Amino acid sequence: MFEIKTLLILIPAMPLIATLLTATLGKKVLREQSHWPTVAAIGLSCLMSLILVLQVSGESEPVDPDKIGYEETVTLWSWAAVEDAYDYDSPVGDAVYQGDFRIEIVLRADPLTATMLAMVTFVSLLVAIYSIGYMHDDPGYWRFFTYIPLFVFSMTMLVSVSNFVLLYVFWEAVGMCSYLLIGFWFQKPEAAAAGKKAFLVNRIGDFGFALGLFLLWTTYGTLDFHDTIVDGQVQSLGIFGQTMLSTPGAYTTGTVGTAICLLLLLGACGKSAQFPLHVWLPDAMEGPTPVSALIHAATMVTAGVYMVARCTPLFQASTDAQHVVAVVGGFTALLAALIALTQTDLKRILAYSTISQLGYMFLGLGAATALGITAGMFHLFTHAFFKALLFLGAGSVMHAMGGVIDVRQFGGLRRLMPTTHWTFLFGSLALAGVLPFAGFWSKDMVLAAVHDQAAVHPLYHWLYLAGLFTAFLTAFYTFRAFFLTFYGEERIPKAAGHHAHESPRSMTVPLMILAAGALLVGVLFGPTGGFEGFLAKTPSLAYLSAIAHETAGHATGEGSHLGVAIISTVIALAGIGLAVVLYLGSPALRDRLTRVMDAVGLYRLSHGKFFFDEIYNVLVVVPIRAVAWLCYWIDRTLVDGLVNAVGLFPMLVGAGLRPLQNGMVQFYAMAMVLGLLVLIGVLLM
Amino acid sequence: MYSEVALLQNYLVVGALLFGIGMIGFLSRRNMIVMFLAAEMMLQGVSLSLVAWSRFHNDFGGQMLVIFIIAVAACEAAIVLALVLMLFRRTGNLDVAVWGELREDNQLPFEEPQLPEPPTEPSEPWPTLTTAGVEPKLKPEQTDYRPNV
Repeated sequence: MFEIKTLLILIPAMPLIATLLTATLGKKVLREQSHWPTVAAIGLSCLMSLILVLQVSGESEPVDPDKIGYEETVTLWSWAAVEDAYDYDSPVGDAVYQGDFRIEIVLRADPLTATMLAMVTFVSLLVAIYSIGYMHDDPGYWRFFTYIPLFVFSMTMLVSVSNFVLLYVFWEAVGMCSYLLIGFWFQKPEAAAAGKKAFLVNRIGDFGFALGLFLLWTTYGTLDFHDTIVDGQVQSLGIFGQTMLSTPGAYTTGTVGTAICLLLLLGACGKSAQFPLHVWLPDAMEGPTPVSALIHAATMVTAGVYMVARCTPLFQASTDAQHVVAVVGGFTALLAALIALTQTDLKRILAYSTISQLGYMFLGLGAATALGITAGMFHLFTHAFFKALLFLGAGSVMHAMGGVIDVRQFGGLRRLMPTTHWTFLFGSLALAGVLPFAGFWSKDMVLAAVHDQAAVHPLYHWLYLAGLFTAFLTAFYTFRAFFLTFYGEERIPKAAGHHAHESPRSMTVPLMILAAGALLVGVLFGPTGGFEGFLAKTPSLAYLSAIAHETAGHATGEGSHLGVAIISTVIALAGIGLAVVLYLGSPALRDRLTRVMDAVGLYRLSHGKFFFDEIYNVLVVVPIRAVAWLCYWIDRTLVDGLVNAVGLFPMLVGAGLRPLQNGMVQFYAMAMVLGLLVLIGVLLM
Repeated sequence: MYSEVALLQNYLVVGALLFGIGMIGFLSRRNMIVMFLAAEMMLQGVSLSLVAWSRFHNDFGGQMLVIFIIAVAACEAAIVLALVLMLFRRTGNLDVAVWGELREDNQLPFEEPQLPEPPTEPSEPWPTLTTAGVEPKLKPEQTDYRPNV
């Protein structure tokens, strides 16, 4: 019954059924009960995902020595098929394949997919339960619970499809769900504008992604991940199929290889809010808080990380691309952390923190060693728990404060909201990277991976230092927000009204479960090597150890890892200590520091988010507006003028002939007679 | 002996005259009944020339057609007269110029051209006779019925 193939189909199918059910029945029939299909479906999906993880980990043991990694695919149906569409030279061997152009709906199970599925459905389930309390009495209740399972469907499909075209399709589908949910309160102009901004910024990334797919197609002649095997014969090669992975030099290097990677990275930057395209994520906080937790912290924004991790073999072929990934990640991590220092909107702080942590993930992926990529994925995994927790905690605060989210307007809430307080503390400790919490293990792993690479290329040394500094900043801004919210004099804004109390159980229980996750997932899977060992059986990642055997491997010292761990812990504690001094200690010191920073311009730079919105406005928005205005003008005057001129001709002729229609019978008769005479005259001549 | 060609020509001339008179009548008269009569006259002119050609070619097709035309004209007369009657009942007027509503919006309706009044010279005062005697009495039956009127 619990065959991997069945599970793979059922996991996305459940939320799809729920979304259809809520969309058709929600408004009239389910109304205030609209959450039931969603919670039930995602609950089942979550259960099945956990079973899938167990099945995959059971199936992939013992490791098949003939194969690279473990994968299982299930074909649902063929979407498009053109036989003998083209000839292409196989990158493997001399054979010229008669290539069929096929897009088949194929789902795959491997450790990477199973991990993502489990993480996505688990967080979605908790967020869905939380939303029951958070969204109650909202007029769009049923609409919310239509979008959420639609998103979960798209996201589960995104991580389980085995084809780049389908990946792109669901990549867009999650983007659409994100758009719908950011603009959930579409009557609010900011929310509508934020949705539009997210969509448009993502278009730039997706355009790069699409170009990357075209280049992949012309280079490799296929967009499948897996080998298509018919009757034991390999019919066509997949990009991450066994044949390609086991053949040395199968992947195109040089300019083309780098171009593919950079275009894919552009797509990942759009979706995961990395440096040039990061501007949409903070604005996306206009959406309901559960959406921020689910889509814009835990799941959708990690799609870019997933995609780069999936494309590891391609990135292995281009060292330049690896460096770009690492630099983009490291730079974004530092930049976003600097901005987060001075923000006053609790959700914005968390949004910049998300961007920063995603930067860490890319930094890990950019290290491009087995350790680095596992670290990136591990950070993705742990981050999902503690960032969802922090967002839901912020949502709980926002719920109690009547929608106020500005940290300057409330304070000292720890007595009022004890559960939110301690769960938020757990999340903050995890984000800051304090020893037993989840964030410590994954962040440490990323830093260790980058530190190892410093010996290979000096670039990584600087990135390592940037990572350490970011860790310090992270600890500081996290606890700044924490102290401002929960400590100090108790202040409650007027808008709170009678809401100022602890949130209902449907909201606090998910918080507690996530807090337990923030405490445990790191220590359970990190130091035990469980996550690393499991993920290493993914074909794309197993490829790393396969090529490592050929290149004599890389030196990894456990001693240096311990050193990194100690340094990062000290730094995190220093950050927390600074926050304690400034925000629990004397406000005078804080004011003096603010003034000093303001004097050198740093405070304004950070508070103004490095003025990226303004710069983009001048560089992109204004020129495009000008072009649009020009097009409008051309359309209005030239094109419309031409059409109107053509339209004017019959009007003028009509005006000229109108007096003929004067309503006099004799006149008409006369016209007929004259016409007849003219006709006869012509015939006679 | 007479010439077939001359006979044809005579008939054609009469047919053409009928047609022409009918056409001029149709164009110049405004009374709907007269217009209908004029149209009938045109029809008969054509019918006549058809008969003449039929005779000339010794082909009865033409005459047969004329029989048809007469039949159709009879029906047409019934319909036209009914229509005219209806129109007359609407306005109490047989003038076709009254029915000009299908003209374009911005066209002026037909107006009777007004002839300038002839200059009326002040009438000369005719001599009048003062009434004399008694007005003769009429019999009551003579006021109702006057056989000489």
